[in-house]
Amino acid sequence: MDKKIKSAKNIPARFRGWIQAAAVLLTNIHIPNLFKGKIYQGKAKTMCVPGLNCYSCPAATGACPIGAFQAVVGSSKFKFTYYITGFFILLGVLLGRFICGFLCPFGWFQDLLHKIPGKKFSTAKMKPLRYLKYVILVVFVILLPAFVTNSLGMGDPFFCKYICPQGVLEGALPLALANSGIRAALGHLFTFKFTILVLFIVLSVLFYRPFCKWICPLGAIYSLFNRVSFLKIQVDHEKCIGCRKCIRACKMDVKVTETPNHPECIRCGECMKACPVDAVCYHYGFSKKKQADDQSEKSNGKGDLKS
Amino acid sequence: MKNKFKKVIAASLAVSVLLAFTGCGNNQAPSADNKKQESASTSTADTAGMDEQSKKRDDLYQQENQIFADHKDAWDKVFGLMNKNSAGESLSENYADVLAGTVESNKDSFTEEEYDTLCKDIETIRGIEEELAAIEKEIAEADSANGGSSESDESISLFQDFTGKDLDGKDVDESVFKNNKVTVVNFWFSGCKPCVEELSKLNELNETLKTMGGEVVGINTDTLDNNEDGIKEAQEILKAQGASYKNLTVASDSAIGKYASSIMAFPTTVLVDKDGNIVGEPLMGGIDDQANYDQLMEQIQAVINQ
Repeated sequence: MDKKIKSAKNIPARFRGWIQAAAVLLTNIHIPNLFKGKIYQGKAKTMCVPGLNCYSCPAATGACPIGAFQAVVGSSKFKFTYYITGFFILLGVLLGRFICGFLCPFGWFQDLLHKIPGKKFSTAKMKPLRYLKYVILVVFVILLPAFVTNSLGMGDPFFCKYICPQGVLEGALPLALANSGIRAALGHLFTFKFTILVLFIVLSVLFYRPFCKWICPLGAIYSLFNRVSFLKIQVDHEKCIGCRKCIRACKMDVKVTETPNHPECIRCGECMKACPVDAVCYHYGFSKKKQADDQSEKSNGKGDLKS
Repeated sequence: MKNKFKKVIAASLAVSVLLAFTGCGNNQAPSADNKKQESASTSTADTAGMDEQSKKRDDLYQQENQIFADHKDAWDKVFGLMNKNSAGESLSENYADVLAGTVESNKDSFTEEEYDTLCKDIETIRGIEEELAAIEKEIAEADSANGGSSESDESISLFQDFTGKDLDGKDVDESVFKNNKVTVVNFWFSGCKPCVEELSKLNELNETLKTMGGEVVGINTDTLDNNEDGIKEAQEILKAQGASYKNLTVASDSAIGKYASSIMAFPTTVLVDKDGNIVGEPLMGGIDDQANYDQLMEQIQAVINQ
C-alpha cells in the first residue's frame, strides 16, 4: 500500500522522456514553418515559454524568456522588465529547475546526445564551473545589454548574439537552410556561434548536460528558486538506509540525502529510481511543517492498518 | 542487454533529430519544384508544350555531351585549361565563345589535329547553344506566365498601384518610383539596433544616389497605418541619426504592408525599378557593413545600367 503511494508520486520521473518530447513539441508547435523558413509572428509570440527555446526558431510557439529579457533591458525605452522578471519568479516558485529537467528543449537535446553510447566522464571534479552560469547571467544577460548602448540607448542582446547555441540550432540553421536571403547574410558571427554549438554537442556526448551545468543563464535563474519552490524533493530519513545509491545516480552531482533541494537539482528523478527503499520522492506544496504532519498522519494510518 | 538496446534506440533517435534539421533544407528545393509543376499542370496545353520543350532541351544537352565524349582527350585538355575565375562573368556569352576563347589562347597546347577537331566541334556546339538559348527563353516565359499567381511574383510587383504617406502626412503614390532609375527601399523598425545604426549610412547612400538618378526610401514597420506614436518615435530616431531621406507609412493590409510584416530579419533592403517592381534578391543586414554596402552598390549599378 505504502509503496504504491510512493511510486505514484514519482510518476513524472518514469515518463520524463515523453514529457520532454511533448514539451518540445508544444514549445515548437508550428512545424510546417520549418520547411517554409518563416517565423511564426502571431499574438502568442508576446508570451514566454518556460524553457530555453529561440524566438527565431520557425516553429517556436512563444518567445525565449532570456531573449525577451535582454531585448527589453537593451531597448532604449526601458531599463528593466517587470513582466519577465515576474514570469521568472512565478515559474521559479511553481516549478524551479523542474523546468530544466522536464520542459526545456535544449535540456532534452543534451539528454538525447548523452544517450549516444561511448565513454562518459564525470563532472564531479568540475564543480567550480557551475558558478560560470551566474557570471554569464549577470554580465551577458543583464549588465552588458543594459549599459553597453549606442547614442540612442539601445543595447545588443549579448547572450543571444555571442553565446547561445540554441539560437544557432533552432534559429540560424533551419532559417538558413530554407531561406536563401538569410543564408547569404551569414558571416563570422555565425561561424563563431556554430563552433560553440558543435563544442557543446561534443561535450554533451561526453558529459551530462554541460550547458545546463556551466552556461545556462535561465537555469541559473531557476536554480535560485529550487530551495523555495513548491516542487521539492524529499528524503525520508527514517526510511533511508544510507546506501548512497541516489548520490551515485545523480548526474547533476548533488548529494541527495544532504541537500535534496540543491540549486543544481533539475528534478529528473534518477535518485528516486535508484532508491531501493523509496525514501526519495517529489513533494508539491507548502512548508516542511505540513510535510512533517503528513508523515505522522501516514505513519498513524499505517499503524491503524496494521493493527 | 535491455539497457544496451535502449541506448541504441536513443542514439538513433538523437541522430535522426540532427538529420531532421539538415533534412528541411534539402526538402526545400524539391517542394519548390513541385509547386511549379502544380501550377504548370493547371493548363494541360501548357504542360504538354513545356514537356516537349524540356525534352528537346535534354536532347540538345545530350548531343553536346556526345561531342565532348567523342573527342574526350582533346576536350579534357580544354576543360583543364579553362579559367575557372571567369566562369561567372561569361555566363551571358554563348558557351561556344567561351570554349573558342580558351582554345585560341592556348593554341600551343594542342596538336594540329586536335585543334582542327576542336574548332569543328565548337561550331557544332555554337549551333546547339543557340537553339538551347531559344528554348530556355520560351520555358522561362511559359514559367512566368504560369507563375502569375505564385507568391514570388506577387512580391515582385508590390509597388504597383501603391499609395502611402510620408511621415509628415503628405500623400505618396507609385510616382515616387517613376522618377527614379532605381529606388532603394529599406525596411526597419524603431527597436532594431542594426536598423537604426545604418540610418546615417543610408542617408549618405541617398545623397550618392541622387547624382545617379536614384533615391532611398525607408519604411518603418512601427509606423504602418499612420500609427502616430510610431511615427513620432521614428521621426525622433531619424533626426538623431541625421537621416533626412523619405520615410513612408503604408496600410498594413496593402500588398506592401503585408510584405513588410512578413519580413523576418531586419533590416531588409530591396531595390525597386521605375515600374514599381522589386528586382533582385532582398539584402538582409545593415549597409554599415562594408561587404553589404558593396553588394548593394553592385546591384544598384546593375539596375541603373539596364
